[in-house]
Amino acid sequence: MSEIIAKLLEAVEFGKIDQKSPYPPQLRGMDGSHELTQQALESGVDPQRILEDALIPAMGNVGKKFSENKIFVPQMLMSAKAMGASMVQLKPFFASGAIKSKGTFIIGTVKGDLHDIGKNLVAMMVEGGGWTIVDLGVDVGSERFIDALKNNPGAVVGLSALLTTTMVNMGEIVAGIRQHVPETKVLIGGAPVNADFCKSIGADFYAPDPQKAVEYLNRLAS
Amino acid sequence: MGQHTIRLHPLGKELVVNDQTPLIDLLHEYGVEFPCGGKGTCGKCQVKLLKGDIPVSASHRSKLDHFKLPDDCRLACQCLCTESITLQVEQYNHLILADESDFEFEPQSGVGVAVDLGTTTLVTQLVDLSNAKILAVETLLNPQVKYGADLISRIQAGLDGHLTEMTHLIRTAIGKMISIMLTGTNHNPNKIVLVGNTVMQRIFSGNDLAPLSCYPFHVEDLGLKSFSSSDLGWDFLADTTILFYPSIGSFVGSDILAGIAATGLYKKEKYTALIDLGTNGEIVVGNKDQIICASTAAGPAFEGANLSMGMRATTGAISSLRLAGTKIESSVIGKTEPKGICGSALIDAVAILLKLEQIGMFGEIGSGEERVQIDGPICLTQKDIYEFLLAKAAIAAGITILSKNLGIDTSEISEIYIAGGFGNYINTEHLLSTGMVETTEDKIHKMGNTALIGAKIFLFENGELSPKILGKTRHVNLEGFPEFQDIYISKMILG
Repeated sequence: MSEIIAKLLEAVEFGKIDQKSPYPPQLRGMDGSHELTQQALESGVDPQRILEDALIPAMGNVGKKFSENKIFVPQMLMSAKAMGASMVQLKPFFASGAIKSKGTFIIGTVKGDLHDIGKNLVAMMVEGGGWTIVDLGVDVGSERFIDALKNNPGAVVGLSALLTTTMVNMGEIVAGIRQHVPETKVLIGGAPVNADFCKSIGADFYAPDPQKAVEYLNRLAS
Repeated sequence: MGQHTIRLHPLGKELVVNDQTPLIDLLHEYGVEFPCGGKGTCGKCQVKLLKGDIPVSASHRSKLDHFKLPDDCRLACQCLCTESITLQVEQYNHLILADESDFEFEPQSGVGVAVDLGTTTLVTQLVDLSNAKILAVETLLNPQVKYGADLISRIQAGLDGHLTEMTHLIRTAIGKMISIMLTGTNHNPNKIVLVGNTVMQRIFSGNDLAPLSCYPFHVEDLGLKSFSSSDLGWDFLADTTILFYPSIGSFVGSDILAGIAATGLYKKEKYTALIDLGTNGEIVVGNKDQIICASTAAGPAFEGANLSMGMRATTGAISSLRLAGTKIESSVIGKTEPKGICGSALIDAVAILLKLEQIGMFGEIGSGEERVQIDGPICLTQKDIYEFLLAKAAIAAGITILSKNLGIDTSEISEIYIAGGFGNYINTEHLLSTGMVETTEDKIHKMGNTALIGAKIFLFENGELSPKILGKTRHVNLEGFPEFQDIYISKMILG
């Protein structure tokens, strides 16, 4: 039983999606996360264990390696895809309540900005941390964040921006959220953003990379 | 208090300034660059105090600590003059690409002036319109660089209330360059043609930069701008027609329009591409029937802005690297000790490290170390290599997506022209081995400063050429394509 979990952890960490996928070369021909998740569920492994003992630690390792510059965006994306191939099979268990999510994370790129790769990577890593994701996409203003918060009470919000000219819109969005749903925790990230800026707009946390966002969220959930 | 004397070593310059004058205002004229626009985040504007002192604020101190600078160093952008001092500044000889290539023209009488108004560098040429001979040339660093190296920092500076100042700086600088070229001659140009990217056009024209600051980037009045010398505050050339050529789109300007004219792309039967590896990284693909273009965010890495030891192609920059056996040999501009690495050598370095298997297909340093040595003290860090991958992927993804949009495969592109500041120093074999451009060596042409060549072609035409090109050219936003993310990330892989 724990052998399947160990194999799944390895498949997700190194980005092996399914048996026929050529990447990564060292796992060529082996089962990927698609098959391993299927086998685990068929042999009666608790879905919560699949999430907690395979997916979360695998994506945690990926996040740490990315944070330390040991891997880069393509490897992280492959791991996220491998995670997705497993997660899609776990979806029914989230719906039925057999798996408990750590919470809901609403994420979007702020108004005036169309860059979504960084935002997507953070969303994937946070999902891999055991959270439910509500991705509002790009060019998102305060109203849509507030609406999403009303539909997902208690959710944490993440704001992304890639341009110095659009990061100023983060301040407006934080102010809007504070006014309507004041207890909300807001974390921000993106190339031009830093901790000083975070403080100046009254956001709660600046995440310099995806892993730091996951770690912050986990502190909130614990 | 009152005034202080600032001595710049080894330039031998002495400047007398008022108390509390910011150093950034003085030094940009002497080759100290401010890539981050004075925020203190890039650490590139460091100067060494030889005599006297500059007090350090708490935020300045934390920045000095961050860059691990010795006690006698300061970040010039964080300094105010409070006493007389002597500073050691790096001696910058700017290597700016002018141009002497041949092009087709109809002889006319008189002379004209072609101006390449770049984000980083300015080039003006005085041209004899009877034979297209270059009579004089001037080059200068764009004085707006004190507001930042890239376009976004210039746009930000405009939003922060510095537009009038930037407009004044650039008009004065261009006027001065032209007046130097005309000094001692009795030439009176009939026509001056300026080309530059959209942001440069708007700053020169004194137009609002706000529409360029955020989505949907909708800019009115991209067209041809006509000025008289008095509009520009010049006290000469009263009868000269001064034209800033039209921009193609919000982030592709008349420098690329000029590139399309220079390469003749708009009249070619076969599909042709133009890649400008300047600050803005524009890509054009097309032929006589249809042309499509876009800008990418590739520039800063090639200009050294985001690299730990990156610099532009100036004195002390490693400009190229070769492999001799298993040893890396470098060429340094100015034949001095290497101080940093510029765009062309960055491509060489990655290609060579890949060949030596010191880095893998994801750019990962094989030894597991944080950095890899290139030459003497010059290293690339893991993060530098990742910066290169982002820039390389932006170019490769751009070519792929534009081709798809034309309904062709990238292999159907029969010629690829490489333009831009360091385009001529690029080693084609290395360029191909990184996968930045996916073609064969025989299809690549290094064409140098196509913006300037195009500006000269425009001196000889009567205004029909640019509408003809614009009529078949489309400008697109690469990030707007749903497949962008997957293609971009897949192109980050080397080889």
